[in-house]
Amino acid sequence: MNPFESNVSLTMQGQFPTSDTHKYSVILPTYNERKNLPIIVWLLANVFEQQKLAWEVIIVDDASPDGTQEVARQLAALYGEDKIVLKPRAGKLGLGTAYIHGLNFCTGDFVIIMDADFSHHPKFIPQFIRCPAEGAQLGIVTGTRYRSTSKPFLPEATPGGVHGWDLKRKLVSRGANFLADTVLNPGVSDLTGSFRLYRLPVLRHIIAETQSKGYVFQMEMMVRARALGYSVGEVPITFVDRIFGESKLGADEIVSYAKGVWALFVGI
Amino acid sequence: MARVHRVALISTFFTTLWMLVFFEVFSVPGLDEGAVAQIWTLIPWWLLVAFGSYSLWSLGWGLFTFRDCPEAYEELLREISQAKDDLRSRGLALD
Repeated sequence: MNPFESNVSLTMQGQFPTSDTHKYSVILPTYNERKNLPIIVWLLANVFEQQKLAWEVIIVDDASPDGTQEVARQLAALYGEDKIVLKPRAGKLGLGTAYIHGLNFCTGDFVIIMDADFSHHPKFIPQFIRCPAEGAQLGIVTGTRYRSTSKPFLPEATPGGVHGWDLKRKLVSRGANFLADTVLNPGVSDLTGSFRLYRLPVLRHIIAETQSKGYVFQMEMMVRARALGYSVGEVPITFVDRIFGESKLGADEIVSYAKGVWALFVGI
Repeated sequence: MARVHRVALISTFFTTLWMLVFFEVFSVPGLDEGAVAQIWTLIPWWLLVAFGSYSLWSLGWGLFTFRDCPEAYEELLREISQAKDDLRSRGLALD
């Protein structure tokens, strides 16, 4: 038996056998997520502890009036200040800048970005992590609703999908991705998704060059990644649309999306 | 060079090539004048229709294979109530 794996040795080292020595930082932008936040943090903690990974959650709250920050402080008391890091901002400043803000406080070498509204489930994170660990030098792994296998292939990947979308919503989503795919050829099946794993320097590099906001932001990150020569892996995810609260998609969003695709076509 | 420039460059090249043959500036071996009138004029339309069919097929197939995942929803609801119970038992006030 390897003496370094004995219980005495492990206790002295203060760590337990895990082949993964990386630390994973989750950036969680929130606005009025008082109800959702404890549960998403619980789900995240569960996954990371099962996998024996070093982790932290950086909550970037845009001055929610509903007391999200108070809940975050309670969670920090429960899980530890090193695990739950609250970094609020003064007002509603948007998603892109929330990631930039959160990045300033990341201590991990991998960064996971996701939504706090349960549409993204932390159970997929182990698969995200295995993609770059498989030997491929991937800078980014993105969750995709459209694929049924992962890229590179993982045997444990399950087919992606959505819940709570009618045929019209699906058509709009497919149409949007088809448009962007044809015009921009990014080589990624789910451009508008926002459940992704980045190597810290890769995210810093790409986000510094990204200009757009809103829906287009996530797409621009992927197009820039390709233009900058980073390779992107894909893991199929299931997407459960907002259980609490409305998810909006109107003509305005579609027009601004098309404008965004055009701006990227002309700009990159 | 932005993507738009690359696309413009390639499409200009092929359009010019097509027009040179169409206006019989030079001729393609094996393609006589009758064939130019009959076939060459159809090429842009053929490309348009081909692209249209590809788009329709791609969208339709994408829509058809877009999976619903009710099982993920059920699982999530179970986990939410599990999380609530656990957090309450650890002294967190939830509503």
